[in-house]
Amino acid sequence: MADVSLKSIRKSYGATEILHGIDLEVKDGEFVVFVGPSGCGKSTLLRIIAGLESITAGDLFIAGRRVNDVPPAARKIAMVFQSYALYPHMTVYKNMAFGLKFARTDRAEADRRVRRAAEILKLTPYLDRKPRDLSGGQRQRVAIGRAIVRNPSVFLFDEPLSNLDAALRVNTRVEIAKLHRELNATTIYVTHDQVEAMTLATKIVVMNQGRIEQVGSPLELYHAPRNLFVAGFIGSPRMNFVKGRVTAVTPEGVRVAHACGETLVAADAGHAGVGDTVTLGIRPEHMSEGEAEGLRLKGQVEAVEHLGEATYLYMKLTDGTDVVVRAPGDTAAVAGASLTIGASERSVHLFDAEGLALPRRGEAHPPRAAVA
Amino acid sequence: MSTIAATEEMAEDLAGRRGWPLHIVVFLAPAVLVYSLFSIYPLIDTIRLSLFTTDEAGLYHFVGLDNFGRLIGDPTWSGPFWNAFRNNLVFFAIHMVVQNGIGLGLAMLLSLPDLAGRNLYRTLIFLPTMLSVVIIGFIWQLMLSPLWGVAETFLGFFGLGGYFGPWLGQETTALATISLISVWQFIGIPMMLIYAALLNIPDDLVDAATVDGAGPFHVFWQVKLPLIVPTLGIVSILTFVANFNAFDLIYAVKGALAGPNFSTDILGTFFYRTFFGYQLQVGNPTMGATVATMMLMIILVGVLIYLFGVQRRLQRHTF
Amino acid sequence: MSLPLRPRRMAVHGALLLYTLIAIGPILLILLNAFKTRRAIFSDPLGFPDGRSFTLIGFDSVLEKSEFGLYFLNSLTVTVGSLALVVVFGAMAAWALTEYRFRGNTLLALYLAIGIMVPIRLGSVSILRMMVEFDLVNTLTALVLVYVAQGLPLAILILGEFMQQIPRDLRDAARCDGVSEYRIFFSIILPLVRQAIATVAVFTMVPIWNDLWFPLILAPGDGKQTVTLGVQQFIGQYVTDWNAVLASLTLAIAPILVLYVLFSRHLVRGLTAGAVK
Repeated sequence: MADVSLKSIRKSYGATEILHGIDLEVKDGEFVVFVGPSGCGKSTLLRIIAGLESITAGDLFIAGRRVNDVPPAARKIAMVFQSYALYPHMTVYKNMAFGLKFARTDRAEADRRVRRAAEILKLTPYLDRKPRDLSGGQRQRVAIGRAIVRNPSVFLFDEPLSNLDAALRVNTRVEIAKLHRELNATTIYVTHDQVEAMTLATKIVVMNQGRIEQVGSPLELYHAPRNLFVAGFIGSPRMNFVKGRVTAVTPEGVRVAHACGETLVAADAGHAGVGDTVTLGIRPEHMSEGEAEGLRLKGQVEAVEHLGEATYLYMKLTDGTDVVVRAPGDTAAVAGASLTIGASERSVHLFDAEGLALPRRGEAHPPRAAVA
Repeated sequence: MSTIAATEEMAEDLAGRRGWPLHIVVFLAPAVLVYSLFSIYPLIDTIRLSLFTTDEAGLYHFVGLDNFGRLIGDPTWSGPFWNAFRNNLVFFAIHMVVQNGIGLGLAMLLSLPDLAGRNLYRTLIFLPTMLSVVIIGFIWQLMLSPLWGVAETFLGFFGLGGYFGPWLGQETTALATISLISVWQFIGIPMMLIYAALLNIPDDLVDAATVDGAGPFHVFWQVKLPLIVPTLGIVSILTFVANFNAFDLIYAVKGALAGPNFSTDILGTFFYRTFFGYQLQVGNPTMGATVATMMLMIILVGVLIYLFGVQRRLQRHTF
Repeated sequence: MSLPLRPRRMAVHGALLLYTLIAIGPILLILLNAFKTRRAIFSDPLGFPDGRSFTLIGFDSVLEKSEFGLYFLNSLTVTVGSLALVVVFGAMAAWALTEYRFRGNTLLALYLAIGIMVPIRLGSVSILRMMVEFDLVNTLTALVLVYVAQGLPLAILILGEFMQQIPRDLRDAARCDGVSEYRIFFSIILPLVRQAIATVAVFTMVPIWNDLWFPLILAPGDGKQTVTLGVQQFIGQYVTDWNAVLASLTLAIAPILVLYVLFSRHLVRGLTAGAVK
């Protein structure tokens, strides 16, 4: 009913191009999260969908209709802004009803919708207050309420949680997920926080420098990142990268020489040949202390962070590479100690010289890698 | 509560910042001294003088509020006084409507997003405000002079040459003309203040209103304008104080007599004439002080109405 | 949506351009005609001076018949003198009021703010009496004293607002190093509020340079006239000498024009920073 379809969308300001041809299909009811570092163009893309920025080239369809030249209010969208953008001189009620006035909704219907939204968002006691008399979380909910009353086909969220404190952020995150389940409207959500992306999205769009790096479900991105950028961006602490060189291509996989020896990685070589530089990628949670079948690395522990349920070991390998290991909470490792660490060969990612992932064996299903 | 106060006091004691240590006195003394001596004392002394009168020998006699009674009731004083007061109200009204109205309009245009040449417009439109009122007065006197005929020629371009008249010289048009000259000079101030207030409105708010379906017209009337009402309040009170204290322009253009036939006389020129005298009339310091005190009270009433009646009801919006 | 944008923008520029012309037209007209012969002033007031109509005769007669150089020097002395004192005294007081907590702090701040709303001009009767008593009539000192008193309230307000934004840690760090309160002010705080001082300077300078009232009342003669008063007296005397009148106006405008070009950015920043609240 309300798919959003982007066909090679480009955006330039003068001579600088911000978006270099974005193609994307958002299906009805999906929760799509645009994630990427600041300046990657994700907010611009959202504002283009909202109609707040013009499109330099390409086509935008909402619910099958080309909307390039349709003003925001006629696109059946609603947007929640990072700063909430509540009208400071209007009460909560008026803030929510403001848009309905222009949509020529009749009074009784508008009133019904505002009250219903207030009920959903637990704002009923605050309807007569002004935004300045509300807490951050309440303001946030008013902003969402203002979007709900419009009955939009598509919800747009621009970093809505970044002004909240940590505890409230988690809370509101859960609320937004719940709301999406209830309303089942297409939602596009922008954030720079990969945890928000992973927890909320049915589909994540990773963006970098005005391009889409990868589109996929949260677990697809986690288990099968297409390139070094996505691999490094999704997951926390970020994936460790170790430089290596291909020494042999065998039916079992690719043999890679690195600072601490040689390892067989279960991956297709693709066009990579013997002698090529490659990068090994191992997530901290897939590494463990001691010898393991597969990858073996040696280094010195430089710092230890105890989190309770786990301990992060910050290590420097013999060739100077920095590596983080997620060890069990009760590890005996101390700063200064020399340590051997390992990871199963199935949990090792391999990237070629251009940074593109070499397909791992048995990729059809995300590998059930040993989680330390 | 009391424990907090106590700890604060302790902290102050520790920092040695209670009472009046020498360095505080040194920092404050020059400003307080000059300001008190040449600003506050003269104002108070003026109020005191307004309660006295002088005789031929130059001796001062206390007369209570008699001077004020004469100013308001005695026809020789009250005629000119009420005339000046009325003219001053007209002067103020023209500023409020024309100066602040056009200022608001210009600020609105200047604050449009991605406006090319914004800074140049702003700088040039503000330019007259920087010049001396006296200079401005003479410039317009020349421009409007039938002798030179520039204004007439100019109107002629639009086929309006016939409408030209010696506006500064006619009793019916002089005050409005002078007011408009002053408006022309000071329009930059409301423009700048309102422009700054408009810039302070976050873009998100305008975007939100756009998504809500409000066009530029509704965005202005229903979102922007209500948010800059506090600034409009400040602009109004600044206009009020400046207008009821004006003098230079009228003195430069029309002289102390504020002709023709006192039609451009406002409180500032009336004060000057009373204090210094003119033609055959000798100056009267105590009546001058009385006029000044009246002006002070008018300004004070205006400021108080603003502070307690208007400003309290206007909430400032923080974004 | 994109179509009506262009004509609308043109209309906006049209309106702004029109008003800009109204704003600077009269000033340009004066500057233009100051360099023309009397005949050209009247026959072609809107034309540029050319080889035949160009003349400096007006400037010659102004410089000859009046002591314009002296007036200029007077204005400069008064303005610069007042400005220096306003900045130094104002900054010191603003610092004491924002930094130190002492009994009567708020009250004193309010007292010093009265002058923002109440024009000192209304105390002229007493000011003149005082100046007569101190034997300061027809001196530049009288003007400087009055202008300092007039400029201080706004200066203290603006500087105080800026000083409040200086991080506390900075001064506390200096105190921990045993730096004296005077040194903290002069070598740490003053340099940090340079921006604000520039704003204060513009706000203080312009009204002083342009003032007619106090020169008229306190120093109307004895060669102590400022430019504004000097021009006013000169024009009153030579109304019919159009060349001289236009030239004297031009001479009075020129310094402000130069200053404005140099400092307009500070002024605009001061105004748009909401310094005048």
